[in-house]
Amino acid sequence: MRNKINKKQILSLGDRYRIYVLFVLVFVVMTLFAPHFFNAWNLTSIMKTVAMNGTVAIGFTIILIVGQLDLSIGTIITFAAVIGLGLKDAVGYGVSVPLAIIAGGLIGLINGLLVAKVKINSFIVTLGMLTALQGAIYTITGGNTIAVTDDQAFAISDWLQHQIVPMLTPRVIIAIVLVVSFSIFLRRTRKGRNFFMVGGNSKTAWLAGVDSDKYTIVAFVISGVMAAIGGILFAMESAAATLNLGTNSLMYVLSATIIGGTSMAGGKGGVFRSFIAVLTLTTLYNGIVLLGLGNEVQIFISGIILASVILYEAFVEYRHDKVVGQRPELLKELNTIQ
Amino acid sequence: MSDLEQNKTDLRSVSQTGFLKILNVAGIYGVVVLFILLGIFLQLLGVINNFMTASNMLNIVDAVSMLGIVALGMAFITYSGHFADLSAPTTMALTGIVAVQMLQFGFVAAIVSAFIVGTIIGLINAFAIGKLKVNPIIWTLALNYMTLGVIRVIWANKQIYPDMIASSEKAVELFDNIYRLRFFNKIALPMIMLIILVFLFHFVMSKSKFGIQLKITGAAKKSAEYSGINVERMIGAAFIISALTATLGGLTVTSLSRVGAWYNGAGYDFKAVTAIVIGGMTLAGGRGSIIGVLGGVLVIGLMNNLMTLLGVGTFSQDMIRGIIFIIVVGLNAKSLRNLGRDDA
Repeated sequence: MRNKINKKQILSLGDRYRIYVLFVLVFVVMTLFAPHFFNAWNLTSIMKTVAMNGTVAIGFTIILIVGQLDLSIGTIITFAAVIGLGLKDAVGYGVSVPLAIIAGGLIGLINGLLVAKVKINSFIVTLGMLTALQGAIYTITGGNTIAVTDDQAFAISDWLQHQIVPMLTPRVIIAIVLVVSFSIFLRRTRKGRNFFMVGGNSKTAWLAGVDSDKYTIVAFVISGVMAAIGGILFAMESAAATLNLGTNSLMYVLSATIIGGTSMAGGKGGVFRSFIAVLTLTTLYNGIVLLGLGNEVQIFISGIILASVILYEAFVEYRHDKVVGQRPELLKELNTIQ
Repeated sequence: MSDLEQNKTDLRSVSQTGFLKILNVAGIYGVVVLFILLGIFLQLLGVINNFMTASNMLNIVDAVSMLGIVALGMAFITYSGHFADLSAPTTMALTGIVAVQMLQFGFVAAIVSAFIVGTIIGLINAFAIGKLKVNPIIWTLALNYMTLGVIRVIWANKQIYPDMIASSEKAVELFDNIYRLRFFNKIALPMIMLIILVFLFHFVMSKSKFGIQLKITGAAKKSAEYSGINVERMIGAAFIISALTATLGGLTVTSLSRVGAWYNGAGYDFKAVTAIVIGGMTLAGGRGSIIGVLGGVLVIGLMNNLMTLLGVGTFSQDMIRGIIFIIVVGLNAKSLRNLGRDDA
């Protein structure tokens, strides 16, 4: 009996820290086998890639925690970049960047209101938003990349690329600060804990005096704002907003969040783990490229990893469901009688 | 509150319910008629030409026939309460590219192997979602990604062309004809497939034992389980049907583009969901009908046609489509709630 509990505890610990183990594994393997992997330049470039998707993953994790889904993050990233850079010549970054972030928040607010108040399934709302925003982006830009070419924009772009601390550029630092503060907010404050409660069981949360609708709406707003921050900062660094900027982010962030151990069913997950998962995936992709393998191998491997993580979780749940309500000690007794 | 006031509020709620009831019964076909009337109106005003002509009407159906085929199969998944099959795009691409590759052994081999591959994908989905109860959205998204990887690794990012692979001219011609064959010089083969599928699936979903069991599974899974329905098999069957219609769609798309490539079928996942949900199926499951889904497909076709005739740009079309999608679904959800037929 005692032995069994220990085994269970180890398994659950393994589950919780799975993503850290995975990260160390990927990192060690790449260090050993991928040429030119372990040097300051490459590690910096990994961290730069992590900065955008890591920020976006914060919002997406919170959305999953409250038990919803946001398919529109990819287009919000691009939309914010287009707004921020497109309005720069007219009003300057001082106004256009906050505007871009507010736009992201507003889109999140619309999503949230439609989900919580009109009670349309979030899958549908954000799917409609994805289509509508995609159209809006192309209508605004006419299908062209927006580039800013004046000195001020280049100066800011240079500053964003410069390493304040070795290997950490401003964007990376902003991402880490956001991740840590949201992590603490979710874990350590009552309001933060309420997000988990809403996602775990929204009826119970409501009965316990938590306004579930409000938390759902706030989650969507956070998701919109985070996507906008990720997008605008990335665009400012490259001084250009391409129209496929956020295209891959949905799959990237969704995979990372799930692999990081946040549950689609709601009520379970963590921002920091999602961030580490983004880091893991980015390291993996970077290593694959350095190993001389193509984009197709990257897609294939990340598909396999995501699928196996999902299947593993489902299998654990399946085995758990099978023995729920069974009383092994009574069965044993029955056997000894016979 | 006095009696009089009580009466007043009742009356108002009744009249409101009356309107919503009409909306609910006429459903998507109300919207279809609305769009047709709008088209006629605009034509009378002289804003657009050639809307109310037989060939334009045929064009509308022709343009959405492939979407219709995919959506009709996927509707079974929505009906069973499992949202959608987001692996449809790469199922279409994979079955198409496999068919083109197998054309070297003749037309029949190509079609058979495409359906075998489609069935395998359906079985994988059926096992993962029916048996292991994985969340259908992330699972089908992950499988979509994985299948995409498989296609791109095996065919090394290349496209393949039927006429360069096939063993005989005859096979190429037959394959091209999947999309191009016209009956009476007008009615295309995909349209015939669509009509046959509508009749067949309508019967299966609303009249057969399977359909009724699937409805109970979608509406109340636990109750279905306790009343002796093999829920796992029902859900699995829905995913296999969807994979098979995706195969049919994939073959048609590949025949249309005359090229087997990984990007064939891109976008069909969300388009099909749009059609299904506009057609009155709710994601909660157990509600809606095949006829409704057909209506949803027709609305999308009409909308695209009208906007193109009006000269609305492709990208603005996306924007309008997204907004109309949310509005229609929102109204539908509201009408169900006000009629007391939905607790959500």
